Amino acid sequence: MNVEGKKEVESENSSRLIGVKNFFLLLIHYRTSFAGLIIVVGITIIAIFAPFIAPKHYAEIDVSNRLQPPSLSHLFGTDALGRDVFSRVVYGAQIALWVGMIVVLIEAAIGIPLGIIAGYYNGKIDKIISALSDLVWSFPPVVLALGVVTVLGAGITQVVIAIALTSWCAFTRVTRAKVQSLVNREFILAARAIGESDFSIMFRYLLPNVASSNLVLATLTLPAAILSTTALSFLGFGVQPPTPDWGAILSEGANQLVIAPWIATFPGIFIVITALSFNLLGDGLRDLLDPKLKI
Amino acid sequence: MTTLGAPLLVVKDLRTYFYSNRGVLKAVDGVSLTVDENEVFCIIGETGCGKSVTALSVMRLIPYPGKILNGSILFRGVDLLKLSEGEMQRIRGKEIAMIFQNPMKSLNPVFNIGYQISEPPIIHFGLPSNEAWKQSIDLIEKVKIPDPQLRAKNYPHTLSGGMKQRSMIAMMISCEPKLLIADEPTTALDVTVQAQIMHLLLDIKKQHGMSIMLITHNFGLVAETGDKVAVMYCGKIVESGTVKDVFQEPIHPYTQGLLKCIPVGFEHKKEIDYIPGTLPNPLNPPLGCRFHPRCKQATKKCVTEEPQLIEIGNGHMVACHINGG
Repeated sequence: MNVEGKKEVESENSSRLIGVKNFFLLLIHYRTSFAGLIIVVGITIIAIFAPFIAPKHYAEIDVSNRLQPPSLSHLFGTDALGRDVFSRVVYGAQIALWVGMIVVLIEAAIGIPLGIIAGYYNGKIDKIISALSDLVWSFPPVVLALGVVTVLGAGITQVVIAIALTSWCAFTRVTRAKVQSLVNREFILAARAIGESDFSIMFRYLLPNVASSNLVLATLTLPAAILSTTALSFLGFGVQPPTPDWGAILSEGANQLVIAPWIATFPGIFIVITALSFNLLGDGLRDLLDPKLKI
Repeated sequence: MTTLGAPLLVVKDLRTYFYSNRGVLKAVDGVSLTVDENEVFCIIGETGCGKSVTALSVMRLIPYPGKILNGSILFRGVDLLKLSEGEMQRIRGKEIAMIFQNPMKSLNPVFNIGYQISEPPIIHFGLPSNEAWKQSIDLIEKVKIPDPQLRAKNYPHTLSGGMKQRSMIAMMISCEPKLLIADEPTTALDVTVQAQIMHLLLDIKKQHGMSIMLITHNFGLVAETGDKVAVMYCGKIVESGTVKDVFQEPIHPYTQGLLKCIPVGFEHKKEIDYIPGTLPNPLNPPLGCRFHPRCKQATKKCVTEEPQLIEIGNGHMVACHINGG
């Protein structure tokens, strides 16, 4: 009791729930995460301003300059059709981020409500939702995506749908576990004691309490989604040429890997850096978004 | 709505059982009690005797796998057990409110306390949020937290235990309920804060004219604040009456034993008195009188026959074959 009391007094003086400004100040102390954040911001800027950054249009063919190695006029060299690889990689960032974001949003929109409902209600509803998420979880996303693409035809929309429909269960599981640990806490009992409805408790009391875990999960899911789309594009099922998806560029470059290694190398580096930076950012967010963080 | 002098809450033969894997746990087994308007009704007993479950039954907040099997809970003439969940939600917080044992855990960590205190009036009276915010600042002042404007914006983890319990009280009285159930409101707090919180509760009771159902295992608290008291043992009420009657002339051997256990200041005893034995296994309580294995005066009748709660005068009720009959 005494120790507890002392802690309370200390925290009263020194800590508040961190604001947005403090949040970034604090993130600097998590160096790897801060590096992740900077790269994420950098890639986002590249994606937004792609038309201004890329020296050429991604589909512009210049046969006289085919398979040129990296030089000042072509930073990342040119491919078999003489297209500027740098321009294609820059435009590719748009596709990677869009696809990643949309996939994560769809997954969260399906997964989080299901997780809250499963965690809040005991018994049958929980069992049904858990069984469903286990079932879906057992499908390898790329394989299922191949199936969807075979039925619906190749294309980026089909790929997004396929990946989202196979990966939402991570959100359900994390949310369900978190809700189960929260639902027997006294503040939920107190919420019921003031007459809150189940719906209100689920989406106004529990949702904010699971938000931070899910935000972290989102930063870890986003690179996975990007990797899945590039994998499908690499296999030729994702975006169709001449759209410059990183996976598609990599796939084209793989054919000329011996004579023109730069075509496959640069999109490969971008894929790795993007995935890594989101993961690093996620690690730091996990520590930072704890509301009891002591400053 | 109710006639003058009619009791606020009448609980009759309440049975709340929990269905666990190991058997049926009869947490509350035939409890009857009456709370009048404007009084402090205390329920006292050891840990696990069913005090809290009785309170939660009144709120109809029994957690899974518990179930209210039998009985009636008449609140101002309405049987709460017959209401739908939606109707019950309109009563919780507005007519009956409840404070919990551990203030550290009973506030939502992601909202500031002003927001949480403004919540009940928004739910029950549809108050616009800016007015509710103003009202919550008044309430914070009323529960004597300094700097209400500033504190309203604080998050629960930045407040001390006492302040949290005050915030909790502010939240629960925001709709001016007729009955406030306080489930060990001071157990988690240190002694000086305990006294302050109890004074606050009694002040508010006087101002609003509400009744308090105080659940505790602290005899001092009951003696100081209570009007009536019910002593619970193993899911049943063994003795009840006015605090004066029960404390000055305890009839049931369990009540006598409990009162003897309180150390009196400056009395140089070698050992503190205690009741021999332990609480029986609630999954398999003893037959007959549930207290008989620990009772020095137990007879054959106590082993075989369950004593009924009978009145021995002036509302003083006791369930004992030996002293009650």
